[in-house]
Amino acid sequence: MTVTTTPATRSTGERRPTKPRFVLGPVLLGVVVVAAAWAWGTAEIDLARLLRAPERLVRTFGLMFLPPDLAEFPRSFPAMMESVQMAWLGTVLAAVLSLPLSLLAAVNVSGRFGSGATRQVLNAIRAFPELVLVILIVTIFGLGPVTGTLALGLHSIGTLGKLSSESVEAIDKGPLEAVDAVGGTWLQKMRWGVLPQAMPEIMAFWLYRFEVNIRASAVLGVVGAGGIGALLVDYLNYKEFARAGMAFIVVVGVTLVVDTISSAVRRRIIAGAPGRTDEPDEVEDVGTDALA
Amino acid sequence: MTTVEAPPRSRTARPPKPRPGPTRYVAAAVIAAITYWAASETTGIGLVPQLSEVFVDGLSERTGQIVSDIFNPAFEDAPATGGPFLETLSMAVLGTLMGCFLALLVAFGSSLVTAGGLKRYRFTKGLMSLLRSVPDVLWALLFVAAIGTGALSGVLALVLFNIGVVAKLLSETIDAVDTKALEAADAAGAGLVQRARVAVFPQVLPNYLSFSLYAFELNVRASAILGIVGAGGIGVLLNLARNQFRYDRVSLIVVEIFVFVFLTELVSIALRRRLVR
Repeated sequence: MTVTTTPATRSTGERRPTKPRFVLGPVLLGVVVVAAAWAWGTAEIDLARLLRAPERLVRTFGLMFLPPDLAEFPRSFPAMMESVQMAWLGTVLAAVLSLPLSLLAAVNVSGRFGSGATRQVLNAIRAFPELVLVILIVTIFGLGPVTGTLALGLHSIGTLGKLSSESVEAIDKGPLEAVDAVGGTWLQKMRWGVLPQAMPEIMAFWLYRFEVNIRASAVLGVVGAGGIGALLVDYLNYKEFARAGMAFIVVVGVTLVVDTISSAVRRRIIAGAPGRTDEPDEVEDVGTDALA
Repeated sequence: MTTVEAPPRSRTARPPKPRPGPTRYVAAAVIAAITYWAASETTGIGLVPQLSEVFVDGLSERTGQIVSDIFNPAFEDAPATGGPFLETLSMAVLGTLMGCFLALLVAFGSSLVTAGGLKRYRFTKGLMSLLRSVPDVLWALLFVAAIGTGALSGVLALVLFNIGVVAKLLSETIDAVDTKALEAADAAGAGLVQRARVAVFPQVLPNYLSFSLYAFELNVRASAILGIVGAGGIGVLLNLARNQFRYDRVSLIVVEIFVFVFLTELVSIALRRRLVR
C-alpha cells in the first residue's frame, strides 16, 4: 500500500486515517458467485419447485402439528428413551476409550511421532459419519440399538479424542515437571500431572458430546439402528403426518430438556462448586509460607 | 559441594490435601445408575448379551460373506459414482452459501449487542435453539416428505442446519466484540443496521468466514448421507447398494465418502488457520 503524498492541508494538519481496504473482497465474491452458479447448475434445482416449497412446507407442518396425534405419545416416548440410552452408552464408551487416546495425541505428554500418528487415526475415525458407520456395523451386529450405540461410540472417539487432546496440550507444565522431579513414571505423570488439570474440561466435552449424540441417535433408526428414527421414517413415508408430528415434538422436547440439564452440569464442572472459589488462593498462601 | 542441612520438619507445613466432597461419589453413583438403566436387558438396550453373542459365537457364514465383500470394494464401479458425488458437492456448496448468508442475519438478531431490544433477542435466541435441536437428517426427512425427493430437499435441510450452527457461533463472537467502534457509531447517530454494518461486521468478518468454512465441512459430511433418506447426492446410491445387498459397492462408496470428507477437511482447516491468525 502506498501512502498518499497529498498533504493534509486541513487547518489542524490532522489527516483522516485511510480507509482500510479488504483486498480479498472481490476475489472472495468472485469465488462465491462462480461456486454458486456451478452448484446451482449441477444440483439441477428447479426454481419453480423452490418457490412452491414454503407453501408445501406450511401445509405439511399444518398436517403434522395442528394438532399432533397425542395418542402417539406412549409409543414415541419410549422410542426416544431408547435413543437417549444409545446416546448415553455411546458417549460412555467413547469417553472411556478416547481418554488414553487423547493423552497419546497430545504433543506435550506424548512424543512428536506418537502424537502425529494418533492424531491421524482420530481424524480418520471422524471422517466416517455415524449413518455410514451404522450401515457397516449393522452387517455384524444386526438391526437394533446395539448397532447404533457402537456407531455413536466409534464416531465420538474421534471427536472426543481430538477435543480432549487439545485441552491436555493447554495444561500448565509445572506439575509435569514436579512429577518428573520426584521420579514419577509416565503413567504417574498422567495421573497426577495431567488429569487433575485437564479433567474438568474433558468432562465438559463428554457432556457436550452426549448432547450431540442425542441428536444423532434420534435419526440413526433411519438405517435400522434403533431409537425413534425408525418410527419417524415410517410415519413420514406412509404420510401419517399427525403421528410424525407427535414423534417430532417428542424428539425436540427431550433434546431440549437433556440439553438444559447437561449444560447446567457442564457449567458447574467448569466453574467449580459455589462458595469454593477462594480455595486456590488459600493453597497458594500455604505454598509461600512453606518456602519462607 | 556444600552439604545442605535438611530444614527442620516442623517448619515446612505441607499444604493440606484437598478433601473431596461428597459430590464426586454422588456423581459416580448417578453415572453408574444411568449406565445400568441404559444397558440393562430389562430397562435398556441389552448391550452386553448382544456384544457377547457376536464376540463369543463369531460371525455366521452369511455375515462373513458380507464382511468379505466390504473388504473388497468394487472399484470398477467408481466412474458411475462421479455424477452423484458432484451433486453432493453442489448441495454442500449451495447449502453453505444460503445457510451462512441467512445465519449472518440471524446472528445479528441473537446477540444483545446488535439485536436492538430484549424481546427480539429472546425470540431469535429461542428460535435458534429450536433449530439446533433438530438434527440435519431429520430436517431432510421433513423436506422430503413435504416437497419430495431430490437435491432441493437436501439443500434446504442443510440451510436450516447451518443457520443453527453458524448463527450460534457468530452471535457469541458478536457478544465479545470491541465496544469502542460501537460507541463511535452510536455517537455518529448510526441506525441499527448501519451500526451492525460498520461497527460490528468488520470485526467479526474473519470469524464469520472461518465459521462458514467449518459449516462447509459439516455440510460435505452431511450432504454425503442425506441421500439415504432420499434428499439427493451420493447417499441415494449408497442406500440403493445397501438395499441390493451389494456390499462391495457400499464399501466403495464409503471409501469415497471418506476420502472426500478427509480432503475437504484438510483444505478447509488450512484455510481457517490462515483466516483467524
